[in-house]
Amino acid sequence: MEIFVPIVTDLEFLAKPSLFNLYFAFASIPAGFVLAVFMALGKASSNKLISTLSRGYIYAFRGSPFFIQLFMFYSMALAFNMSLWKPLGIDWLMLHPLFLGPAILVLNTTAYTAEIFYGALMTVPKGEVEAARAFGMSRVQQFRSVVWPHLIRIAWPAYTNEVVFLFHATALVYFTLPVIDDQKDLMNKAGELFERDYNAFLHFSVAALYFLVISFAIFFVFGLVYRRLMRHLPQVQKIRFLPRWLG
Amino acid sequence: MFDLLPEWMKNGIGDDLLFWLGYFTNGKHLAWYASVQFTLTAAIVGAAFALLFGLIGATLKNSAFAPARLIGSGYTNIVRGVPDVLFFLFFPLAFEQLAELVLAQAVCTPLELASASGRWPPCADANWYLDTFQYLMLACVSLGIVYGAFTANVIHGAMRSVPHGQLEAARAFGMSPAQVAWRIHIRQMWVYALPGLSNCWLLLIKSTSLLSLLQIADIVLWAERLGAPNFTRSAGLVHPDWRWYYYLVLLIFYILLTFASEKVFAALTRRASRGMAVASAD
Repeated sequence: MEIFVPIVTDLEFLAKPSLFNLYFAFASIPAGFVLAVFMALGKASSNKLISTLSRGYIYAFRGSPFFIQLFMFYSMALAFNMSLWKPLGIDWLMLHPLFLGPAILVLNTTAYTAEIFYGALMTVPKGEVEAARAFGMSRVQQFRSVVWPHLIRIAWPAYTNEVVFLFHATALVYFTLPVIDDQKDLMNKAGELFERDYNAFLHFSVAALYFLVISFAIFFVFGLVYRRLMRHLPQVQKIRFLPRWLG
Repeated sequence: MFDLLPEWMKNGIGDDLLFWLGYFTNGKHLAWYASVQFTLTAAIVGAAFALLFGLIGATLKNSAFAPARLIGSGYTNIVRGVPDVLFFLFFPLAFEQLAELVLAQAVCTPLELASASGRWPPCADANWYLDTFQYLMLACVSLGIVYGAFTANVIHGAMRSVPHGQLEAARAFGMSPAQVAWRIHIRQMWVYALPGLSNCWLLLIKSTSLLSLLQIADIVLWAERLGAPNFTRSAGLVHPDWRWYYYLVLLIFYILLTFASEKVFAALTRRASRGMAVASAD
């Protein structure tokens, strides 16, 4: 049992840092979800201007690395500090990593999620929407009772993947944003432990274990939600773990 | 750089534009442009490694031997459950340490080895200083390991999409299993794998932005250096914080790279599916 001692110690050391990764992910999920619905509707909009803008936003954020996005928005926040944030009195908020990190993650995940929702939106059967129109439903009623239930059921497995990849993307946040006091995430803490005794195999493996376990927990919880969403069907397909495709 | 231009040309360009042309072609900026080579090398060599690991992984997953299947699916699942940046940092570190461990056995005295608890490397001679090229190669291999896992899944799926009739026909011709695999199965697999491989490639080029984490002076590191507020005692503040302009350029660079890759893969798919009855052909 001697060999498990360092692993257990590392598990203890990395428990609190893992909460920062979870915080980054779960602080950005709700806003990203809501914005993505609007962005997907915007991409599908018949208004040329709105459609082009949403399309451009989605392409730009999916076509560039999150790492660069982090750098760019952080240095933007710094550059506007004296001219904008200070006069408005919100510099303490705009430069705080616990606000800025989720904010940049939201910008990123909105684009990926919007593409998923847009793909699902395209599969809504025309006949159902026409039937709803024939009933005299308004646009909002059509969306609520016909489009949305179909969309979310089709999109849920892909959205689950997106949430897991969003969680993985949180590993990059503190490579760019400043670490305040002991607010370290898994990668920071693993790096710090590594610099103490140069045991890369132990510390990085335990950090990887945290990522793996939390990823599977996300899959499990989202799988339960999926089962609930699909409760009208006799059997539900399992959510498959796929990478964050662009196409 | 533009001092050598003839006078009439300088007058035509104008002082303002000439100044900026000169600024954007000074030594540091040229070094920035040149550092694109690291990004592109990492992308291309990394993709080659990813394809290699992908083929190995898919073979393992297809194997009739159960432990090989277990290794194959273990590799793909574990790598995909962990952020790419973790592997990207871990693999070069681990490789360096293993190399130093072997080196230490050869060059350190037994006394040094025995007394070096918690010190790494055990003696100064066993320290392996990696240069940029070595770091770049290690980065390529770790990109290969991470995206090899994605590629393995793509290839595994594509292998199963090859119509059974084709393989049966090959067997009916009297080909050996190895001949069927190499001449028919793997050659026909590419058409089905191309859309997935295109996605893997797009993920991989985005990961090349992480090179600066391995002390490689790539485009990201140079953008940081060039954009940082430039203050000298003699000239005062030369320019304030310009970093986000430079990062915006990088963002556009990556978007263009993605756009070009998509076009190339679309052309490849069209070419590969000539005369084939697949959905992507029309």
